[in-house]
Amino acid sequence: MKVLSLIPERCTGCLRCEIACSYVQTGTFQPSKSVIRVSPFEGHTSYAPYTCTQCAEGWCMTACPVGAIAINAAGAKDVIDDTCVGCKLCTIACPYGTMFYDPDTLKAYKCNLCGGAPACAEACPTQAIVYVEAETADWVGSFAAERTARVLAGQVA
Amino acid sequence: MPRRHLIIGGGTAGLNAIRTIRDEEREESEITLVSAERPYSRMVLPYYLGATIAESHVYTATPASLAGWKVKALLGRRVTGLDTGASLATLDDGSTVQYDDCLIATGSRAARPRISGADGPGVHSFWTLEEARAVIAAVPAGSRVAMVGAGFISFTILNAILARGARLTIVEVAPRILPRMVDAECAALVERWLRQHDVDIRVGAELTAVEDEGGARRLVFKEGEPLAADAVIMATGIRTNLEWLEGSGIEVSSAAGGGIPVDDYLRTSVRNVFAAGDVARGRNRVSGELEVHAIEPTAQEHGRVVGANMAGRELAYRGSLVMNIVEVCHLDVASFGQWEDAAAEVYSAGQPLRFGYRKLLFHGPRLTGAIICARSADIWAGNDVGMLKGLVHSGVDLSAWKAHLARHPFDIKPAFMAARTVGALLPETVLGRPSRSPQLPQSAVIA
Repeated sequence: MKVLSLIPERCTGCLRCEIACSYVQTGTFQPSKSVIRVSPFEGHTSYAPYTCTQCAEGWCMTACPVGAIAINAAGAKDVIDDTCVGCKLCTIACPYGTMFYDPDTLKAYKCNLCGGAPACAEACPTQAIVYVEAETADWVGSFAAERTARVLAGQVA
Repeated sequence: MPRRHLIIGGGTAGLNAIRTIRDEEREESEITLVSAERPYSRMVLPYYLGATIAESHVYTATPASLAGWKVKALLGRRVTGLDTGASLATLDDGSTVQYDDCLIATGSRAARPRISGADGPGVHSFWTLEEARAVIAAVPAGSRVAMVGAGFISFTILNAILARGARLTIVEVAPRILPRMVDAECAALVERWLRQHDVDIRVGAELTAVEDEGGARRLVFKEGEPLAADAVIMATGIRTNLEWLEGSGIEVSSAAGGGIPVDDYLRTSVRNVFAAGDVARGRNRVSGELEVHAIEPTAQEHGRVVGANMAGRELAYRGSLVMNIVEVCHLDVASFGQWEDAAAEVYSAGQPLRFGYRKLLFHGPRLTGAIICARSADIWAGNDVGMLKGLVHSGVDLSAWKAHLARHPFDIKPAFMAARTVGALLPETVLGRPSRSPQLPQSAVIA
């Protein structure tokens, strides 16, 4: 399956992915509504994008009491808007923090790989987000551990 | 001869078991479902009450979907007795069902306090679809509603009652709201928020009777003024439906919380009888203790594990995580794991002006419980909800982060990422294989 491979070392923190994602997912240019999120490290000198891994369990999908989350043609877990009642059970079932709730539509939403043409990957100018055939993985763990080591050691604020 | 599975109860646990049997079995078996009600999801009844969905939206199976799964569905029927020696169930119409294995998933029902007038006219529970219909009829716009109990059930229907245009008073015997879902500091924040949203709250109020007063209700308390209401909703807890098992030989726990003790395969004291959901006393993933977790995610996971084992697998379950989320007037309140634990190291912080709260409970390097409160509009907080679940669920080593989190309990995300929580979580699946799309009647194939 093609997945979003994230390479934080290449990320410049430009937030083009968030702008593109929020527009495709919710029709607004609003980073707070993006389902891919860029985190800053070490006083905004480096960054890491983070989004749904399309995990094998699909905790959101199995938790939904009305079957409103299903696997789409791209292999992504996708919310069926007409079926979602907005109960938020998926937001506590997902252990990755990648289920979202839109207070304007009162429904859950998440990364659905834009149905097979992810807007974030297309918008990324540095190929920090690429859509490739790969096993899904913890793309950010090692990077985050390395970039937070000095914070934890008390060397920087 | 095909194997005969009997599923008793058509709720979340029962239906997940049926779906998983069909997914996992090598040879087609016979499945009989005995359910007192047509299958629907209780989780979504509040949205039916709030009129954001139609009644048809609540059903989790239709005659067509049950026929598609080749389930012999005996709906409107109850099992009245189980002869575990003969593997024979007797139904309320006198008929019998022979089984090779059986799942007890009869769930729970709303309990009412033993006070005068508690079962009288104008007094409702909100648990079943039938009860939901009655509440809908009893709560028109402008009506005065008294809700007895300030727990999770009560809070799941709070928005819907307000959306119907009713005036709401919540009455709670404990000195604070949400006594079994969050701690006192978080409860105070939620209470202040609700008062700002025109919800009246009376805590420490012991109800002694519900009386009739010219066709309306009059709630009488041990102390304080009586309260007039057009409708009373008793959200005073639930009780497991287990009485019918008397004499079956299946062990039922006499410890607090009760329930049928089950092993890691969800088997009861009788090997070919499983229990799942609200009636099962299963393993708590964090503490390892056996407990009844009367919550939807536990019923769902139990049901799937039972389904796999009924289909011939030997699938052990790692245990369930207690968790709840409720949104009241656009304030989200959630808790995970062992959030009330005198033996834990506790770090907490509040943002009173933004109605934010975080509480983190540690045992050594592991986060074993958490509470989060945030306005729904504070979208960043929504990410923390899931990450807190992931940290408690995975039990990753946070020893490097404890000092930081003690100073900054709101700064969850870098700790979540740097502890390689994603890597710890990715290999885990409940069934030991990738999950498939659900096939509920509402689900459509996405092109």
